[in-house]
Amino acid sequence: MADAAATAGAAGSGTRSGSKQSTNPADNYHLARRRTLQVVVSSLLTEAGFESAEKASVETLTEMLQSYISEIGRSAKSYCEHTARTQPTLSDIVVTLVEMGFNVDTLPAYAKRSQRMVITAPPVTNQPVTPKALTAGQNRPHPPHIPSHFPEFPDPHTYIKTPTYREPVSDYQVLREKAASQRRDVERALTRFMAKTGETQSLFKDDVSTFPLIAARPFTIPYLTALLPSELEMQQMEETDSSEQDEQTDTENLPLHISPVRRQGTSQGCGEGTAGKVAHPGRQGKKASGGGE
Amino acid sequence: MPPTGSDPARMNRKKGDKGFESPRPYKLTHQVVCINNINFQRKSVVGFVELTIFPTVANLNRIKLNSKQCRIYRVRINDLEAAFIYNDPTLEVCHSESKQRNLNYFSNAYAAAVSAVDPDAGNGELCIKVPSELWKHVDELKVLKIHINFSLDQPKGGLHFVVPSVEGSMAERGAHVFSCGYQNSTRFWFPCVDSYSELCTWKLEFTVDAAMVAVSNGDLVETVYTHDMRKKTFHYMLTIPTSASNISLAIGPFEILVDPYMHEVTHFCLPQLLPLLKHTTSYLHEVFEFYEEILTCRYPYSCFKTVFIDEAYVEVAAYASMSIFSTNLLHSAMIIDETPLTRRCLAQSLAQQFFGCFISRMSWSDEWVLKGISGYIYGLWMKKTFGVNEYRHWIKEELDKIVAYELKTGGVLLHPIFGGGKEKDNPAPHPHFSIKHPHTLSWEYYTMFQCKAHLVMRLIENRISMEFMLQVFNKLLSLASTASSQKFQSHMWSQMLVSTSGFLKSISNVSGKDIQPLIKQWVDQSGVVKFYGSFAFNRKRNVLELEIKQDYTSPGTQKYVGPLKVTVQELDGSFNHTLQIEENSLKHDIPCHSKSRRNKKKKIPLMNGEEVDMDLSAMDADSPLLWIRIDPDMAVLRKVDSEQADFMWQYQLRYERDVVAQQEAISALERFPTPASRLALTDVLEQEQCFYRVRMAACFCLAKIANSMVSTWTGPPAMKSLFTRMFCCKTCPNIVKTNNFMSFQSYFLQKTMPVAMALLRDVHNLCPKEVLTFILDLIKYNDNRKNKFSDNYYRAEMIDALANSVTPAVSVNNEVRTLDNLNPDVRLILEEITRFLNMEKLLPSYRHTITVSCLRAIRVLQKNGHVPSDPSLFKSYAEYGHFVDIRIAALEAVVDYTKVDRSYEELQWLLTMVQNDPVPYVRHKILNMLTKNPPFTKSMESPLCNEALVDQLWKLMNSGTSHDWRLRCGAVDLYFTLFGLSRPSCLPLPELGLVLNLKEKKAVLNPTIIPEAIAGNQEAAVNPSSHTQLVGFQNPFSSSQDEEEIDMDTVHDSQAFISHHLNMLERPSTPGLSKYRPANSRSALIPQHSAGCDGTPTTKPQWNMELPRKGTGKEQPPLEMSVHAAAAAPLSVFGKEPASSKHSEHHHHHHHEHKKKKKKHKHKHKHKHRRDGRERGRGPLAFPSPAGGRSARSPSLSD
Repeated sequence: MADAAATAGAAGSGTRSGSKQSTNPADNYHLARRRTLQVVVSSLLTEAGFESAEKASVETLTEMLQSYISEIGRSAKSYCEHTARTQPTLSDIVVTLVEMGFNVDTLPAYAKRSQRMVITAPPVTNQPVTPKALTAGQNRPHPPHIPSHFPEFPDPHTYIKTPTYREPVSDYQVLREKAASQRRDVERALTRFMAKTGETQSLFKDDVSTFPLIAARPFTIPYLTALLPSELEMQQMEETDSSEQDEQTDTENLPLHISPVRRQGTSQGCGEGTAGKVAHPGRQGKKASGGGE
Repeated sequence: MPPTGSDPARMNRKKGDKGFESPRPYKLTHQVVCINNINFQRKSVVGFVELTIFPTVANLNRIKLNSKQCRIYRVRINDLEAAFIYNDPTLEVCHSESKQRNLNYFSNAYAAAVSAVDPDAGNGELCIKVPSELWKHVDELKVLKIHINFSLDQPKGGLHFVVPSVEGSMAERGAHVFSCGYQNSTRFWFPCVDSYSELCTWKLEFTVDAAMVAVSNGDLVETVYTHDMRKKTFHYMLTIPTSASNISLAIGPFEILVDPYMHEVTHFCLPQLLPLLKHTTSYLHEVFEFYEEILTCRYPYSCFKTVFIDEAYVEVAAYASMSIFSTNLLHSAMIIDETPLTRRCLAQSLAQQFFGCFISRMSWSDEWVLKGISGYIYGLWMKKTFGVNEYRHWIKEELDKIVAYELKTGGVLLHPIFGGGKEKDNPAPHPHFSIKHPHTLSWEYYTMFQCKAHLVMRLIENRISMEFMLQVFNKLLSLASTASSQKFQSHMWSQMLVSTSGFLKSISNVSGKDIQPLIKQWVDQSGVVKFYGSFAFNRKRNVLELEIKQDYTSPGTQKYVGPLKVTVQELDGSFNHTLQIEENSLKHDIPCHSKSRRNKKKKIPLMNGEEVDMDLSAMDADSPLLWIRIDPDMAVLRKVDSEQADFMWQYQLRYERDVVAQQEAISALERFPTPASRLALTDVLEQEQCFYRVRMAACFCLAKIANSMVSTWTGPPAMKSLFTRMFCCKTCPNIVKTNNFMSFQSYFLQKTMPVAMALLRDVHNLCPKEVLTFILDLIKYNDNRKNKFSDNYYRAEMIDALANSVTPAVSVNNEVRTLDNLNPDVRLILEEITRFLNMEKLLPSYRHTITVSCLRAIRVLQKNGHVPSDPSLFKSYAEYGHFVDIRIAALEAVVDYTKVDRSYEELQWLLTMVQNDPVPYVRHKILNMLTKNPPFTKSMESPLCNEALVDQLWKLMNSGTSHDWRLRCGAVDLYFTLFGLSRPSCLPLPELGLVLNLKEKKAVLNPTIIPEAIAGNQEAAVNPSSHTQLVGFQNPFSSSQDEEEIDMDTVHDSQAFISHHLNMLERPSTPGLSKYRPANSRSALIPQHSAGCDGTPTTKPQWNMELPRKGTGKEQPPLEMSVHAAAAAPLSVFGKEPASSKHSEHHHHHHHEHKKKKKKHKHKHKHKHRRDGRERGRGPLAFPSPAGGRSARSPSLSD
């Protein structure tokens, strides 16, 4: 629904507000649009000679109208993307309407019909504000040789170089320390998470949480996991030695029906490149384990 | 391709002693094996064999073949139906209701049973009668074609099915099957002459699913699709005469790789492993080239196939033109440690292709020649590939192994001759098994046997030079090649068999040297030599007085007489002396060359010509001796304990260039914990030029010395600063460099040092905190991202190091171990182990080395009382479905737990696994581990030792392991370790000496007592003729089939199973009849065994001629009752019954006996009318003897 609404909004009003930033303005926006559409429907009904209408029918018609407009928007977007553009043009809309079985030729006449009601644009109550975080510092004024209609300078932090006075951490020892503890934390968190979420074994009968061991699970084909290098190792191989190229591709193409656990592990533990991914379950795991301790 | 009708026997005779006298009255020339259906779901195989044989005696009227487990439907000779009897005494060695429980009795019975079916004694389980129509044909020595239809259902040995339980077709699941076994075990999967000495050409056909590949011996002639295109038939042709024992088969959805260097070589592996296969086999061609070059002989077969399969029986199994390997040998380029091991396996199997497969042996007593030669040329390959140091190190290792084994358990005899009158009555060094037959040997003994064989070959090489040695091999090979190309002259094929005498003759022909004394010493005799050397320097005479004593009275030793080399390093150089060791001379005077006055500043020449500066301040000012080595070339199979001063050992370690000498010095220095030793060891450890294995050994020695000197030790813990210097960052010494394993030598050192360091102990006998922190830091800062190689072995060793650092927990009045009282150091260790073990689940390491180490470490923590002792974790890891290394590690822990906690439950669990585990390797290993680390021994009182256990183990070795020779021998080993040779002490004494045989109305000796008397009789044990008596006496014919309706699992391989099914099929046959054969032999000591099996037609009337047996039911319809009625008194059919009935209350818990009795009664009435019908049809002469081949010969029945 939210998605449809966003598309409809884009097609209908042509503006894409920053509704994603928070949920409340989006709701407001939604309500406002709804209201506008209701007004439109009501005026059309009035135009058609109705004096009153049940709420439900108005709602239904609103819904239909909204769907219709959404569909126009969606199709128009597709057509425009089809021609490798990002902004729909009039012809996109026209093609869309034609495609939807609408006789475009009648449209100018309809638009100029005499008895039409003019609805005032809804008051823009809360123009979504661009979030503060993105603007930092004072935008630099244009130098004299740049005409003023040119876009403004971007925020200074995007181009200004400030020399730092504190040495970045390049000390080998600290780096190694950091890398080691980071990896250790990640591993610990990840394994704890796995242990929390799955079956475990314990070395102490009275305590199952301090040293949780992920339960041993037999494989149907144990030698595959034991012998084949993991994806992580393959990746390392690639980095350290490119002469083994063909061998790797062979292995990578293997159908992986080995074990879901392993695949998960390999994709998550892929060192720094995917550290973010690893951290995600890790965080939860830490939270959970922190509670346990 | 039948050869011409020449008479091989006559040919043999002509050639005299060198020729081969076949023990069989016929010559096999060609065999067809056709397996037309393999069902992976049911694990069954259906097929036929066709043997082309030429009789060599005129009156051949029965043909004995080997067959086990196979269900035989039908036998035809030259298209005529032939009667046959199937009888396998090894199914149940001793009577199940016998109360006899002493091992002496068992091993005699077992040896007798094995030789009763030994093809090399002309015997076999399957005895086929030549139809009388063909007698004339036979008398003309004309060809016979024996056609046998057989099937195999859920084989427990011989063929191993691996069927993973996942979704998909069999091919998608990676299901495969392969042949396996110990020594000649081909009889387990098709009927054949299962002897290494019966060669013939082969045609092999296997029809398999179209997605599968069948790999077998010889050339793939063609593959033909069946009409429905669902299946393919692989036709293999092996034109080089080969023994059945060298025939193999592997079927599976293999990925195929044609060797890029040698197109005649093809590699096969299981799905998805192709990249590993490529890497692993990329080296093989070099091994080929090496062997072909040294042997100056082409690889004898036209093709070679390597197959890598899962759940392998042994890591390497060589068969004719094909080797079967464990899939676990495959590795990627990132793995360091496995690479040399795998290459060694490949080289080993290839060496056996030449000697073992192509050249076969005449008899078991010639096995040492084959194992010796293949091991020896494999050693040459090692020398060339890994260098002289590695080779010498390996030789020393092997020598130490064999010496340790022989001294511990008794001698290893390479060339057992039987029946020969000489002093062969060597008081049997291995009382609990017979060495007369490969199938009765303990596996450990067999490994040691192979080890000794190649060492002895090396001794021969020392004597006659390598050049001659290779000439001899070349001669053997070229003779064999010539013989093998004689397609139609089967009598020539015996040239492809090697015998001890033939081999020795070749040696003397080629070299002109007499090596008889050497052979007598090491081949015909068992035992090793134990030298004690000590010396004194006589300053006045400038003579070294060397005293060499020998211990030749301890078991496993022998006296050495002959030359012995001694190398003396003096100040002026190194000098070799050859001493003559004689009966009574102990002291030897060796003149010294150098004056004891030391020439300062003069370099000292070493053995290899190198001249070095030495700091001579440590040595004795009066003596010019730096060090002395006794037998430096390992030219004697010996153990040398020589006494030298500590500084001499130190000099030897520092300056002697031979790695063996260095290692000897290291092990000697353990006894001298002094700062000087420390310095010497540290220097060696640091020396880059020094052989890495020596440096590794120095690590452990240093740790030991440091512990002995703990109170006076100064400076940081041993090796720490060294490790820091070698492997840690310059700027921050507590952080290890990121891994770079390009230099393998430093890699191995880096792995080993922490493990050794963890053995350090402080004054409180705890691992120093500093060391533990150091190891934990190594783990923490371990970084393998930039490394080309995997660090899994390294990390595993770090865990081993952690485990080594664990010391026993201080226990306050046996409190229960909980988390709260956990030692903080242990907490850190446990933290690491937990993390590693858990990470293994997500990112498994190669061969799960880390899991293995973690499991071991956890067991160490349990054993030291830090963590509650509990086997459940290990039991879960020991389950089928884990990688085999993990399982073994877990099982080892359970075995250890069983011992420490004396847990009956775990012992039972282990024994159940021995019987039921799908992987034979695991079954063997459990028995082996239990034997190595027994829960109790014969000299120990233990609550575990009770009658039920005795019975259980007895049953295991008696009948539960008949499908696997090695397993049975393993069970025997265990039984021996637990209970010793005689009757286990926990058994009650047999109460009754005499048993009244009610049926026969006579008294017999209680069977639990008699055999003891017999077993005590050494004559009976040694003399083969009395063996036959013993067989008869013990009545080794099985009754295990009694359980058939109750326990289908134990019956699959038994005759009962076969007969059972035959009867279901309502097929006429005899095998089943051997069931319930009269147990006459028990009560009456009549030597009856094999009396009539030499081909004389005396017992003809007994033979069953395809009786139209109307199977009345599913019950095994044995005819014993009819026989019982017919065979009157003297040989009671149920001689055994009275014994058991007498003891019936006593036996009540032996349910199998109980069942048996019941069952017999059940059969009784059934057979009454059965017999009637039969007699109507055939008359008394034709009724099949229920005793199978054996009672057939008993006089009472043939009357």
